[in-house]
Amino acid sequence: MRKVYTFENLILDLSKFWQKKGCLLYQPYNSEVGAGTFNPATFIRVLDNKPWNVCYVEICKRPRDGRYAENPLRFQQFYQLQVIMQPAPGEIQRFFLESLESVGFKLKEHEVRFVEGDWDAPTLGAWGLGWEVWLDGLEICQFTYFQQAGGLDLEEIPVELSFGLERIAMLLQGVKSVFDLKWNHTQTWGDVYRQNEIEFSKYNFTAADAKFLVSLFNQFEAEATRLFEQGLVLPGYDCTIKCSHIFNVLEARGTISISERAKMIARVRALANHAAMLYKQKISEQNEMQKGTE
Amino acid sequence: MIDFLLEIGFEEFPPSFLKKSANELSDRIVDLLMKQRIFHRSVRVIYTPRRMGVLILGLTRKQKPQIIEIQGPPKKLAFNENDQPTEMLQGFLKANDLTQAQITIKKIKKGEYVCGKKEVAGVNTEDILYKEVPKILETMEFPKTMIWTKGGTKFPRPIRWILALLDRRPLKFKFAGVRADRHSRPNQHFSFKPIRLEKPREYINFLRHGGVVVDPNERRKLIVKRMKKAIEKTAGKALYTKEMIEEINCTTEYPEAVVVEFDEKYLELPEEVLLTVLKAQGDLIWLKPTNKFVCIFSAKKKALQNVKKGYMLVVGSKLYDALFYFQNDLKQGMDSMVEQTRRMMWLKGLGSLYDKAARLRDFSDFFEQVPDLDIGTLKRAASLCKADLLSGMIREKDFTSLQGIMGGYYARARGEDEAVVAAIKEHYLPVFAGDAMPSTREGVVLSICDKIDNIVGAFLSGNRPSGSSDPLAVRRNGYAAVSLIDANSLDISFFDAVKALLKLYNKDIEQGILFEFINERSTRFLLDKKYRYDEINAVLAYWRGDIVDARMRCAALKQMRGKTEFTKLVIGQKRVRNILKGQKKTGDVKVELLEKPAEKTLYQKGYAIAEKLEPMVEQQNYSEALRLLLEMRTDIDKFFDDVMVMCDDIPLRNNRLALVSYINDLFLRYADLSQIVIEGEKN
Repeated sequence: MRKVYTFENLILDLSKFWQKKGCLLYQPYNSEVGAGTFNPATFIRVLDNKPWNVCYVEICKRPRDGRYAENPLRFQQFYQLQVIMQPAPGEIQRFFLESLESVGFKLKEHEVRFVEGDWDAPTLGAWGLGWEVWLDGLEICQFTYFQQAGGLDLEEIPVELSFGLERIAMLLQGVKSVFDLKWNHTQTWGDVYRQNEIEFSKYNFTAADAKFLVSLFNQFEAEATRLFEQGLVLPGYDCTIKCSHIFNVLEARGTISISERAKMIARVRALANHAAMLYKQKISEQNEMQKGTE
Repeated sequence: MIDFLLEIGFEEFPPSFLKKSANELSDRIVDLLMKQRIFHRSVRVIYTPRRMGVLILGLTRKQKPQIIEIQGPPKKLAFNENDQPTEMLQGFLKANDLTQAQITIKKIKKGEYVCGKKEVAGVNTEDILYKEVPKILETMEFPKTMIWTKGGTKFPRPIRWILALLDRRPLKFKFAGVRADRHSRPNQHFSFKPIRLEKPREYINFLRHGGVVVDPNERRKLIVKRMKKAIEKTAGKALYTKEMIEEINCTTEYPEAVVVEFDEKYLELPEEVLLTVLKAQGDLIWLKPTNKFVCIFSAKKKALQNVKKGYMLVVGSKLYDALFYFQNDLKQGMDSMVEQTRRMMWLKGLGSLYDKAARLRDFSDFFEQVPDLDIGTLKRAASLCKADLLSGMIREKDFTSLQGIMGGYYARARGEDEAVVAAIKEHYLPVFAGDAMPSTREGVVLSICDKIDNIVGAFLSGNRPSGSSDPLAVRRNGYAAVSLIDANSLDISFFDAVKALLKLYNKDIEQGILFEFINERSTRFLLDKKYRYDEINAVLAYWRGDIVDARMRCAALKQMRGKTEFTKLVIGQKRVRNILKGQKKTGDVKVELLEKPAEKTLYQKGYAIAEKLEPMVEQQNYSEALRLLLEMRTDIDKFFDDVMVMCDDIPLRNNRLALVSYINDLFLRYADLSQIVIEGEKN
């Protein structure tokens, strides 16, 4: 029998593939995020208009997706492998397919479907066009050409690939539940994360203190604004990320109405737009100064 | 005769406008050939998710030669008295590369002129295509585009190759940073190796070997054929529409089909839920009533087992979620959902969803007079209709589109009357233009109540539409409400409904802007019913917000339009309007001050007509009303011919103005005819 291809080996092999394509191997951000896009290695760097190729695992938290460890395919925390290539290489789609082959999918034996998916992250003022990539019907990746971030048009167009690592590993191992996924040869994903799923599902849906979270949201928003006023882009952006996560928990908790929801999204987006604008301003000032000293 | 093949290769194109774009490209190339006098025998449109183009067979190598005529100098100046060519003629011949044999004398309006005729050889087809095809590509229009390189061309998705082959020669033009050549690409599941073509006629077969059926018509047939083959031995009826097949056609290069199963326990789910899951998962086709569906996929046949396993897993997981929500919702029950609506704000400052439902219930009273309406059923449905927004199912974004429908199921589980269930189920209809209408009377009225409430709520909470922004989609709500009232011939004034509702809100708002909005929506509706702007303006100028009535008035107007009598009447009304412009109301007509016969006649006529007109208007017999008004036409004309309204005698003048105003008011009982545009009026 073929040796099981473990979750950890998938992470290593896929990272290596993109490293060979010239990506810098980065690490996850140190705050809760809903997607690798929030990591400054993506959100801030795509504003640069400079070549930037990067690959990292991101631990993504989606409070609403928790199912108390009862649904084999839905969980409130998962790993993404985030790849940014800026500018997008012309052969990127082929690279992508080759990366799937590099971890063991023979394209002749599977169906890879590029399903139209206009991606947008409303809290980041970011959007792009691309696809959800389905492997045998299972969404395993978002493939996006960014057009805007922080409300600003991008010049050098980056391509973003966000691989859903658990799902890819499940297909490779042929298991029907994420909890049975072999992390290494002795531990399963369930061994590592089951309790986490159960407890955080409870937290997100019933235990989280909404009042406390609303007040945190307000404070982080005020803090971000204050920091932006002092020209501190990255610390301010850090507070923005926190607002975004708090909003996600509140949404799962089910205490915000439809119209309130739209307003909170707009508030986070305003912060993200502020960060982006400030960052752009800073780099153009730096460029000016460089020109001056040359 | 030569052949031409053009293939634009891109990363997966949005299926919703692939067919339309491919047809546009083909039409424009055919158009180019016609204009350039290049003959061709046949055209085949090509599209798959990864390419679009045309295969044109039997083209001429060159444009058809053309005989052109060039006008020269007048005969008098071209030849001297001895009929010898003058210097002027020789200059003309030289300048246009003509010999004396190629000219004739032609008589035109201005006199006799020299006319040079010569045959211009056709330009090579190759040169024309090389030059013009990139221009066509550049000017194509799409609903949504992107860029993929800095400052690059806009297109729906990145262009990665272009194949342009005229017989054996590639046309190496450049577009979107790509140099056209003789290479196509296969289905990526088969190979990455480009396919080199020597000539266009190899295309269809070579690509088929590469796992691509390039002809959409052939592919469409293949989809149905493969599906039928796959379900040969399976029970159940395949539920699919033409639109679904075309959508599948736009997402596949090489269709294969496989039957996939799901756990039988999911058959417990409402049919709408099952279909929603299957549709979202890539147009999967349900074999009703079994626990099986067909999946059309676009890969090698070898992938069949993996595809089957994959879809079983994904659909299973989605159905698992759906059943989880459904059972939980049933367990918590509708009463608990209703209770929770108390804590869910609807719009800022306008209370909770519970308040909204209570308001809809009270608003129902306004519709009491609607025939065949069970007010009790309506009120019960109104009280329950927003509860499902608090259900687990509807809160999940995959199933939000089932709002109302799920409410119906939950109401039935609560033991509600089937009429209540139906009204709840239907009360969001019509969701989009051309969508189904509610089938029950209570469903219709509840839908109208809800939509009017959405509109008024939006205006009260600072969310009214302006320009391209319409945050709460009240324009769609407005149009739907008007359509519902009209389609069900309800004798309801939209204005009065809004006033009644505002009372329930107990809030102040400038009603003018709301009425303006209703007028605008009604105008849009009537325009779609093929009435003209001016007809609609005439009718809506003094209406009471009753769309059915407005439509009848428009119909009468449309019927009468174009008759000479009518045109004269309108001209008369325009004179009336002009005279009354800026005049204050002058009170009633004083009979003793009517001086001239024409004045007297008009007044008597008007008086007689008024008596007959009123019942006609009340019975909404507008063609008769209009016919009555027409009877005054000659008297009005005579009045204006014989009587000077703006005379110096003030009491006389005022009395005449009062008469004109009296007649005008009679017209306004029907419509403001002065708004009708008469052809040639502007001249």
